[in-house]
Amino acid sequence: MSGLHVDAVSFGYNGTGVLEEIHLSVREGEFLSLLGPSGSGKTTLLRLLAGLEAPTAGRITWKGSEIRGPGIDRGVVFQDYSLYPWMSIVDNVALAIRKTNPEKTRREHRHLAEDYLRMVGLSEAIGKYPFELSGGMQQRGAIARALALGSPVLLMDEPFGALDPVNRAKLQDLLIEIWEEASPRKTIVFVTHDVEEAICLGDRVVVLGSSPGRVIAEAVVEFPRPRSRRALFSSAGFRALRERIAEQFRLDMIERLEAPCVIKDTAEGI
Amino acid sequence: MEGRSVGKRPVLAAWDYAADKPPGNEGIKVMLRKRLGGLKGMEAILLFGGLLLFWHVATSLLPMSGNPLFPTPLQTARALWESLPELGKGTFYSFLILVPGYLAAVLAGIVTGLLAGTTGWLHRAFSPFARVVAPIPPTVYIPYAIAVLPTFRTSAIFVIFIGAYWPVFLNSAAGAWAIEGRHRDNARILGLSKAEYLWRIVFPAALPHIFSGMAVGLALSFILLTVAELFGANAGLGRFVQYYADFADYPKMAAGILFTGIITFLSMALLERIKKRVLFWVR
Repeated sequence: MSGLHVDAVSFGYNGTGVLEEIHLSVREGEFLSLLGPSGSGKTTLLRLLAGLEAPTAGRITWKGSEIRGPGIDRGVVFQDYSLYPWMSIVDNVALAIRKTNPEKTRREHRHLAEDYLRMVGLSEAIGKYPFELSGGMQQRGAIARALALGSPVLLMDEPFGALDPVNRAKLQDLLIEIWEEASPRKTIVFVTHDVEEAICLGDRVVVLGSSPGRVIAEAVVEFPRPRSRRALFSSAGFRALRERIAEQFRLDMIERLEAPCVIKDTAEGI
Repeated sequence: MEGRSVGKRPVLAAWDYAADKPPGNEGIKVMLRKRLGGLKGMEAILLFGGLLLFWHVATSLLPMSGNPLFPTPLQTARALWESLPELGKGTFYSFLILVPGYLAAVLAGIVTGLLAGTTGWLHRAFSPFARVVAPIPPTVYIPYAIAVLPTFRTSAIFVIFIGAYWPVFLNSAAGAWAIEGRHRDNARILGLSKAEYLWRIVFPAALPHIFSGMAVGLALSFILLTVAELFGANAGLGRFVQYYADFADYPKMAAGILFTGIITFLSMALLERIKKRVLFWVR
């Protein structure tokens, strides 16, 4: 059984549900956009996929075996603090390379690290420290490190959320370029709250509703690659899809707002 | 700039307030500000100078006898100059006690602190113990240490070790405990071993806390050093001050105090310099 499978996964703590009965399948080599508003538990779901937390119910499998903890077969790029600030970015990347190539020498590690940094467009910033780099460059470094792990699965938690629109677009293009060039293609789960980003990047979009998170919609993105932003933004199909998804969000929110709620605590219900 | 009027009162622009004031209280304030404004940035120098002047005037006005209880600045300076070789030797002997004690405490404090901060059961086991034992003033161990340990020097080193150990240990543990969750997540994803995690991640991340502990430990070490020397040293900075106080040679005593202060200040400044160098990445 190949691919990433999420079977009836729920997660919560202290009686609060964060995720409710999530069913999800990701094909190998697929780019899945995980879309949801804040509070939908999408970051939690990503952490479960990464193995940083364990679900309270259900199981997650990759290539048939259950995920029990973090590992180098699933690389992660967070929105911030992915790199260690006291190491230069080349040392940060080399840290990942040492894990996957323990038999090589330190010089070989460094050469490989520099290659990955060049791949993400950081050739002039090799010896620099994260605090000397802009947000966009830091995220490029974080991507380089995740790539250096050589993991077949790449989990990304709103990696471009803190960047300005132009840098965000550049990094989106970089990500797609790297993904398409690799063979075999990596399986990517890309978490975002930006509908357009989800549609532009993904092969498929899975929409999570707000707390507790459930899958409220799924859509296959049929636009052929390579995708041009200009063409997409002016195409009717793109706008229709965007509107349908936005509509799902609105309906979900209104449903949550109007749902009769059980008061469990004297503090609620105000 | 013409003044607009709101009702009956003219409305002045913000920069009109300082100019063209009528004579009276406002005028004097403005005049003072203009005269003294040029001295901005010199306040510290003025304070030092003022205190020195006060010292000189206060001691000059007191009735002079053979051995003045309150030496003047000039007497102290002369005594300082004369005692420099003896003070130098004293510094050397003091450091023979301070350096081993402090460095051993720093090493032990960092290692045990980082371990206690990252291992759940160690943290739970040692927290209450640390909370009870750490506040004991190390001065209280001095008589016992002198009775038990073979030489004065070893007992003094022991007391300084105890004094400097606790601040370093507590701060290292706090720093390790407070490490950013993201750093921990990344370490788990990268599959770092516990040793690698401690050395490459926890130790650098906790360095700001560790340095705070080291600064407190250093200040404590100087205090404990001088107190211990009062008990039984043959040479040293604390011994110098006590000796000349016993002999009622107050200029020399004051010179010793001044010199000890300078040495302490230089040591703390050196630590601060090292900290700035090491923590280049902290923003």
